[in-house]
Amino acid sequence: MRPRWKKVLTDLWDNKARTLLVVLSIAIGVLAIGVIAGAYVIIDADMSVSYAAHNPANLELRMQDFDTDLLDAVRHYHGIADAEARRAISLSVRPQGSEVWTKLDFIAVQDFKENRINLLTPVEGADQPHNGEILLEEDARDKLGVAPGDVVEVRLRDGTIKPLRVAGIVQDPTTSAADFLAAPLAYVPDDSLPDLHQPQTFNRLYITLDSGQDDEDHIREMLFTVKDKIEKSGYYVGFTRRSKTHQHPLASTVNAVLGILMALGVLIVFLSSSLIANTLSALLQQHMRHIGVMKLVGGRNYQVLGMYLVLMLAFGLLALLIAVPLGGQGAYGLALFIANSIGFALQGYRIVPLAFVAQIAVGLLVPLVAGLAPVLSGTRITVLQAISGDPARFGGGVSESLIDRTLLRLTQALARRGIHTPRPVLISIRNTFRNKRRLALTLFTLTMGGAIFISVFNVRTSLYRFVQQVGNYFLADVSVDFSKSYRIHKVESYIKQVPGVVAVEGWTYATAEILYPDGSLADNINILAPPANTSLVSPLMVAGRWMRPDDVRKLVISESILDAYPDLQPGDTLRLKIEGKEETWEVVGIFKFVGLEGTLGYAPYEYLSRAQNRANRAFSYRVITEEHDRAYQNLMRQRLDASLRAHGFQVEDTTAGLASLDDASESLDILITFLLIMALLTATVGSMGLAGTMGMNVLERTREIGIMRAIGGTDTRIMGIVITEGLFIGLISWVLADILSVPFSYFLSGIVSRAIFNTPIQVVFTPTGFGLWLGLVIILSSLASVLPAYNAARLTIREVLAYE
Amino acid sequence: MPDTSASEPIIQLREVVKTYHSEAGDYTALKGLNLEVYPGEFLGILGKSGAGKSTLLNMLSGVDQVTSGEVLVRSAEGVIALHTLDENALALWRGRNMGIVYQSFQLLPTLSLMENVMLPIDLCGNYHPRRSRERAMELLRMVELEEHARKIPAFISGGQKQRVAIARALANDPPIIVADEPTGSLDSVTAEHIFELFEKLVAAGKTIVMVTHDQGLMPRFTRYKILADGAWVEEMP
Ligand SMILES: Nc1ncnc2c1ncn2[C@@H]1O[C@H](COP(=O)(O)OP(=O)(O)OP(=O)(O)O)[C@@H](O)[C@H]1O
Ligand SMILES: [Mg+2]
Repeated sequence: MRPRWKKVLTDLWDNKARTLLVVLSIAIGVLAIGVIAGAYVIIDADMSVSYAAHNPANLELRMQDFDTDLLDAVRHYHGIADAEARRAISLSVRPQGSEVWTKLDFIAVQDFKENRINLLTPVEGADQPHNGEILLEEDARDKLGVAPGDVVEVRLRDGTIKPLRVAGIVQDPTTSAADFLAAPLAYVPDDSLPDLHQPQTFNRLYITLDSGQDDEDHIREMLFTVKDKIEKSGYYVGFTRRSKTHQHPLASTVNAVLGILMALGVLIVFLSSSLIANTLSALLQQHMRHIGVMKLVGGRNYQVLGMYLVLMLAFGLLALLIAVPLGGQGAYGLALFIANSIGFALQGYRIVPLAFVAQIAVGLLVPLVAGLAPVLSGTRITVLQAISGDPARFGGGVSESLIDRTLLRLTQALARRGIHTPRPVLISIRNTFRNKRRLALTLFTLTMGGAIFISVFNVRTSLYRFVQQVGNYFLADVSVDFSKSYRIHKVESYIKQVPGVVAVEGWTYATAEILYPDGSLADNINILAPPANTSLVSPLMVAGRWMRPDDVRKLVISESILDAYPDLQPGDTLRLKIEGKEETWEVVGIFKFVGLEGTLGYAPYEYLSRAQNRANRAFSYRVITEEHDRAYQNLMRQRLDASLRAHGFQVEDTTAGLASLDDASESLDILITFLLIMALLTATVGSMGLAGTMGMNVLERTREIGIMRAIGGTDTRIMGIVITEGLFIGLISWVLADILSVPFSYFLSGIVSRAIFNTPIQVVFTPTGFGLWLGLVIILSSLASVLPAYNAARLTIREVLAYE
Repeated sequence: MPDTSASEPIIQLREVVKTYHSEAGDYTALKGLNLEVYPGEFLGILGKSGAGKSTLLNMLSGVDQVTSGEVLVRSAEGVIALHTLDENALALWRGRNMGIVYQSFQLLPTLSLMENVMLPIDLCGNYHPRRSRERAMELLRMVELEEHARKIPAFISGGQKQRVAIARALANDPPIIVADEPTGSLDSVTAEHIFELFEKLVAAGKTIVMVTHDQGLMPRFTRYKILADGAWVEEMP
């Protein structure tokens, strides 16, 4: 091997700690990019492929009960490929022997063998349940913790508890694809409906189109005509949804989340670049003499430059060796995790060429780009500068003495007050500021890592707080629904007799369609009608006002209406088709709400009950109890259920709290976990930067440390000086990270909440992130300086003097 | 092989002035020096510390630039004024025509002795894996370090390091060797050994310019000059 390449090789091999540091910092960036880019590509392709493979309905209509006559008619409508009818009911289920009820959406399927729309994929056990059996979706299985062969108990609307055997587990990527807050699903054959005390009719219609399945306009038009025809046949349609065949409804949300992760990945690459720049500039400084010697014996600039470029490429190649295989695995792992949590299948393990290429590009370019400046200036050094060790080129300068002077004055001032700063601490602090460029880069990486870390905690709290606030629309501890309407006074008097009840409100509601001026469907809306002075809703108003008792055909509406009517303002009117009639309503206020299931509105009970000819009567009641924890709510639900049934009320369902909020928190947890992983990666890069800096600082001070030892410095004292320096840098970065985390929190929470809630949320700051990062930075910076400190203390005087 | 006619100088300094500029003020280290070095000579440059000896060597090796005056060097390509060459051309010229030996040996610590010797061939010579290896071995044999060829510099003594540095200076077979106090950091026995090596090289036809402050060596040069405060003097002050 040519001596110059041999030198490059030994430079790699000789200082293993440095090589490892550089290689790992490149590898972390490459890994992050590889994992995220790979997962992005896999998800992007497979999410929609898996969705399409299950033949998703293009149109879904939730409607008044109907039978096979209508289904047959619909099947013959023009432009329709196929239609299936199902019955969906919400029932609570628990594993046999458990006390905890979980709400599941039961789907009664006409014929599991003939299933052609919204197909189920068998996962485990049987795929065709018999009477008395049930299929569970994977989510439901995980929630209940049961396996095929186990028995679960279903609580029917009249309070009867009925056992069902779990026949098998299936995956259903389509039925509740649009709504990751939806309840988990269960499937029963429709001839078991009578046993569940349900009529053997349908309430949902799933339709596929024979053409234009991916054409937004065509699907919208078809929905309009199909719905119109069905309504003309005398059925009332409550809720509709449309979907393209080849696009998963959550595709854009998932892509947005992956986009955020990608941005963090790019940031990690950026941070690791500054770490690499730092290390390489120290390396070049150490190699100043080598470069001089090579030029002395005939080496020209381009040859020396070539050697260091090859060295950097070698760093990159080593990093790729680690990061590419890991990145491929990681990408698939991440894709699999997302697929499992959303509930669709991947097409199998594969290498993503785009991610592969991106990794190689990042792995090779990052060291080249990051190292170019130090390498160019390092190799430009002349023989004379190199041989005489001209220090003018590196660091130093006037401001250093400024820091010295400030420090001196500070310690003198402290001393006058009787506080004596220990000498080694002074040495550490002064050392910190020696190489200002290096300090700046180290602080930058550590601060960015810390700021992201802290921000993730703030974003987490903000998201949870928001979900909590959404809970402000569902403050009731127990909801009671009857199958007929009762006079509010009567129900109230009975409910208030139950111990633990504080207050009760009777609510009514209506579903309606919001129309475009041309009469076509713009959005579905659920209008809830609590008494105008309800204590159970504390809305987050965006514009306008909350409802009043004397409002007539006036509406407070959720922000999602802005998708259909972007310029809508309080005072504007909307065309509504409400219970079959077209009416004009005025919008008086707009509030913030998370919801993927269409738009929500509030109108006062006082008006809507009269419009429905049910003044002073209600189907639905909300109860406030003395305590608000889950256990107490469950207890009160049981009491109310039993007591009302005992008094002869026709209770349809009683619900404790709001379970779907728990589900929301769960999906947020997944996102937060990813964000935290990314935050930890950036923190790792930051502390690697610190370790590198401490290592370089110690190396450059070898001679000085030797002299300290020669004049009697003990091991512990020398280690102490180095560790104090590391801690000092860590603490400065903590302060800076605290400041930087404020804009970061706003930025990150803005993009995250827009991606998942479609609305910006209010940022909440929590001490958790600040505190944790303080602890972490203390631990990390001590760790980062322990090894260099140990090395420093271990140096013998002889080694120090031999050091060149 | 060097020219033995002794009529034309191989190196010529004309009115060389070197002024250092620093914060403390300007300092003129060389005050208009003239010098002719003839092929095959063993020229000693003597003088006290600070006299300007290293500065002078840096001028004639092109490591540093003259403030005024000229350094002319005769080589296979003809007579060249060093200040007309750019940094890269200078490096190439130096690598082929001039071997340089410093008091501090300036070996690359991670390369073996053999690789250190081969380095100039790699960088600006006619590198050939086998032949260059043989050449390096031959040079190491000459300096009696054959059996240490695979060691790295940390594991040999100072005198041995200097012998490696000399072997390296000879790698591209340059006609001129310049040496700045090559024995300065060695004990007297080792120093004598190194000096004898230089004498052998002169006998083999090399032109050598050596800086020293050891007056005892004066009689052993073919010619010597004494420098004091940047100017030639007749006797050691
Ligand atoms: N880079 C520089 N900047 C300013 N002055 C310099 C510089 N290099 C050398 N000098 C000054 O020039 C004078 C000559 O220095 P030089 O190194 O040539 O002396 P020398 O004869 O080699 O001494 P020694 O025997 O100690 O090596 C000295 O006074 C020195 O201080
Ligand atoms: Mg000198």
